[in-house]
Amino acid sequence: MSSTGTGIQPPPHVIEAARSPGMASAFAGRMKVLPILEVALLIAASIAPLVLRDYITVYATRVLILCLFALSFDLVWGYAGILSLGQSLFFGMAGYGVALLSRDFGVGSIFAVLPAGTLIGFVAALYLAGFLLLGRHPSSVVFVSLGTMTGAYTADRLARGSHYLGGQNGIPSIQPMTIGSYQLSEGPGFYYLVLAILVLIYLLSRFLLRSQFGLALAGLRENEQRIAFFGYKVQHLKAIIFAISGAIAGTAGSLYAFHEGFVWTNMLGVVMSTQVVLYVLFGGSGTLIGAVIGTAIVEGLSFWLSDNYRDIWPIILGVLLLLVILFRPLGLISLVLGERERVGHFGPSLKEKRNAAP
Amino acid sequence: MDTLLIAAFEILSFGAIVVLVVLGLGIIASMMGIFNFAQGEFVLLGAYVTYLVHSVGLPVPLGMLAAPVAVGTLGFVLEKLVVRRFYAAPIVAMLGTYALGLIIREAVRGLTGGLYLSVPEPISGSITIGSLHFASWRGVIVIITLLVMAASHALLAYTSFGLRVRASLENPQLARASGISTGMIYSVTFAFGAALAGLAGALIVPVFSLFADLGIRFLIQGFVAVMVGGVGSFAGPVAGASVIGTFSAWLPWLMSPVIADVLVFVLAIIFIKFRPQGLVSGRGVNR
Repeated sequence: MSSTGTGIQPPPHVIEAARSPGMASAFAGRMKVLPILEVALLIAASIAPLVLRDYITVYATRVLILCLFALSFDLVWGYAGILSLGQSLFFGMAGYGVALLSRDFGVGSIFAVLPAGTLIGFVAALYLAGFLLLGRHPSSVVFVSLGTMTGAYTADRLARGSHYLGGQNGIPSIQPMTIGSYQLSEGPGFYYLVLAILVLIYLLSRFLLRSQFGLALAGLRENEQRIAFFGYKVQHLKAIIFAISGAIAGTAGSLYAFHEGFVWTNMLGVVMSTQVVLYVLFGGSGTLIGAVIGTAIVEGLSFWLSDNYRDIWPIILGVLLLLVILFRPLGLISLVLGERERVGHFGPSLKEKRNAAP
Repeated sequence: MDTLLIAAFEILSFGAIVVLVVLGLGIIASMMGIFNFAQGEFVLLGAYVTYLVHSVGLPVPLGMLAAPVAVGTLGFVLEKLVVRRFYAAPIVAMLGTYALGLIIREAVRGLTGGLYLSVPEPISGSITIGSLHFASWRGVIVIITLLVMAASHALLAYTSFGLRVRASLENPQLARASGISTGMIYSVTFAFGAALAGLAGALIVPVFSLFADLGIRFLIQGFVAVMVGGVGSFAGPVAGASVIGTFSAWLPWLMSPVIADVLVFVLAIIFIKFRPQGLVSGRGVNR
């Protein structure tokens, strides 16, 4: 059993072609789908609350928060080939953390709770990565996925059994988040806040992944051994991206806790972890926008279908997932996005390079 | 002394259940390199078939015979249609089989209406030895587990079919060149692993009763057991399952069940971290 393969591997020459300036400029005219898609989605998301009814805006806010969560999973699986089946651990821990801050200390200021949630996610992910990924033996993908899954299951069980954390019922009625003296309740205000945070984190991730660090990550996803031979500390790279993704999941978790007004054990456990895997596989792992689209489609469909077909909706979801894995391993995004653009280019933009050349 | 014996029996019978559940998972993981995330749902399906046979008024043991056949057949079909495409990419296989498991689980949830359904024990009552009472059905599970384990081992180690399976495992190209239809061998091996899960589900349904999340309960446990035991050999998963089963049944006697449940997994993960090859590091089937 191979421990390094990620399964979804484009042939190596695709990356070569995308990086060589001559080839890329020949295709430069065609390489425009991704920015168009991103801008179109941003515009659609920005005007959505103006045209949607209020209860749908509330639902859309939740979807945006889940998009943020999906981004965090996409970073580790789509870009670093770490199959984290316990991503909800960081999401839920941050949620519980801020819920406790609110319940026991009355802290609800956005400037306190969001950094706190992010930090909780970051530190938890750093510790888990330190244990699962670092060490003398490089860890196999199966071990890491099992370890993360166990982490989420463990947290779920402990939270269920803990009286302090509210047991089965979780922590209800968290007070609203505040900005200064303004109380942020669900609705358009919350929606735009989440959208702004999502866009910010999306852009930061995009920048990170197109830097040298991102190039090394893409390399280790494609061929871990070769990157190790180049002298990169592969396990460290993985641990770093894992911790960053934990931080993002933490941000999403704290937003989710305040948006829903309560936290419960499903946020920590296997249910949420598999949910996020569904989103990202559906949309297309290895592209940030794929994670967002996948979340929007799955949640949109479930909003629309679960009213009329509540009983068979999970079965439909399973069948759709299976079909996507079988026939569109790169996700729905691959219907419109070519291989070349999916892989993209790294470092300074090609134009700058051409200008710098004599 | 009496409590000690009863505890020992409890531990033994629970250990047997875990071994039974893990056996099929271990055979598929070791022989084919596929971590089958639908295995828990095969267990669930075995339980459901037993319930179905019972609910139409036929005797429960008949359902227990039908379950492995039905689940094995389904495993065969699924291998031909779906799992076959995943051999080149074991990680995608995990996700694909996960999707299969999701479909089966939700289908059963729909069929059972999300209820807990009970199936009576075919052999009820208890065996009395001196002043001690043991539930007979649990004793039967222990005996059947031992028989199934011995039979599976004999099948893989001593028959010509077993030889072909091992050959396809070790060197598929050479096996094909020698005239073994490796595709067929893979289908049958997968079906066999599924049938074992079906049997496990059928046998344990009187103990645990039938509910949609029955499989999930065993999935993590099964995977941890396979990893602790060591992937690649026959003895590995069995050893791992014995260890995990023993600890899962023993620790709740010492501490609160929640902590015990969690502690087993955490200890197992730490163990795997420092000994990735598992308890049994060899490959193949020892004779």
